[in-house]
Amino acid sequence: MEPRLAALVIEGLKRARVRFVVGLPDSMLAGVYVAAGKDPDIKYVAVTNEAEGASVAAGAWITGGRSVLVMENSGLRAACEALSRLGLVNGIPVTMLMGYRGDLGERFHWGVNHGMTMEPILKALRIPYWIIDHEEQIIPALSRAVIHGISSLYHTAVIFRTPLVDEGK
Amino acid sequence: MKRYELLKELAKLVTDQDLVVTSIGGVKPEWYSLMPGNGTMFADLLGCATPFSLGVALNLPHRRVVALDTDGGMLFNLGALCTVGKESPPNLTIIVFDNERYEGVVGGPPTHTSGRADLERMASAAGIPCTATAKTIENFVQSAATMMSDNKTGLMVAKIEPGVFKDIPPERAKESDGIEDKYRFLRHIEQLEKISIRPRYVRE
Repeated sequence: MEPRLAALVIEGLKRARVRFVVGLPDSMLAGVYVAAGKDPDIKYVAVTNEAEGASVAAGAWITGGRSVLVMENSGLRAACEALSRLGLVNGIPVTMLMGYRGDLGERFHWGVNHGMTMEPILKALRIPYWIIDHEEQIIPALSRAVIHGISSLYHTAVIFRTPLVDEGK
Repeated sequence: MKRYELLKELAKLVTDQDLVVTSIGGVKPEWYSLMPGNGTMFADLLGCATPFSLGVALNLPHRRVVALDTDGGMLFNLGALCTVGKESPPNLTIIVFDNERYEGVVGGPPTHTSGRADLERMASAAGIPCTATAKTIENFVQSAATMMSDNKTGLMVAKIEPGVFKDIPPERAKESDGIEDKYRFLRHIEQLEKISIRPRYVRE
């Protein structure tokens, strides 16, 4: 994601009063991790896997720190058990931001499976999501995802599709 | 050492201004019977107590946070040790009750800490500044008191005997589910911090 768009993501998070960003870096949203890590108003926590990230984000959220988890969409598979327990057992929301790796036109063979499983898993876990591909959608999508997480006490997701994200070479 | 005896000692050190996060397993009913207030989040996920408590500690840096984890929980998510080591919030103390087995499983099969795995050494190598292993109640009390007051991230492994305390009186038995636990903890935080986390209507 180019720096100008990553800056829009950060602006959207701030408008949604998110000051706690948890992330496991990936290429598609690379600019977001960098921007979050440099922003003095944001606490950025780099984690070692997405399940751990969901728990860190949940701990911050329930103590009043609106939080998001930024990750590759394959992280959804790694985080399934944590998301299931936190969401279905406790009702503690985790709002996720992820790039749509494996979207139609995917050039990497290893990325195709990410796209095949992402939406079925989101649906299986009953997670509302918004797939966006225009920059005008970034700020409202983040705001709605964060608000919906609070009102529903359940996870939400914003999926960034090309041309908002870099597909890589 | 029995976990319940250690928890009784720990309960003397924890105040109503502190926050506690427990793992799943026998530690939940035992801790609830001793500290039935709303300052504990009873996690329902293996491998969650430490990273969840890290989120709590980083978000509320002015408040003491204690995680009550287990060997099975820690082994499930060892990467969290490195994240704790990197962040090193000075207000976080992690206590790992290590009975060297998956006690909730029929037959209590061994965990890797029954062999060569040493969680304290892993924690130290992960960058957690203050670590200890307690094998006596006196060691446990001393290390817990130090870690909760030294303004450094601490992790203590408490080597315990298997077994869950069976004589919890009915009025002290934990009956709540994960949703009730969440609301009690969340509303407690709202009162403690004088903030609104989950209003009836989300304005922005």
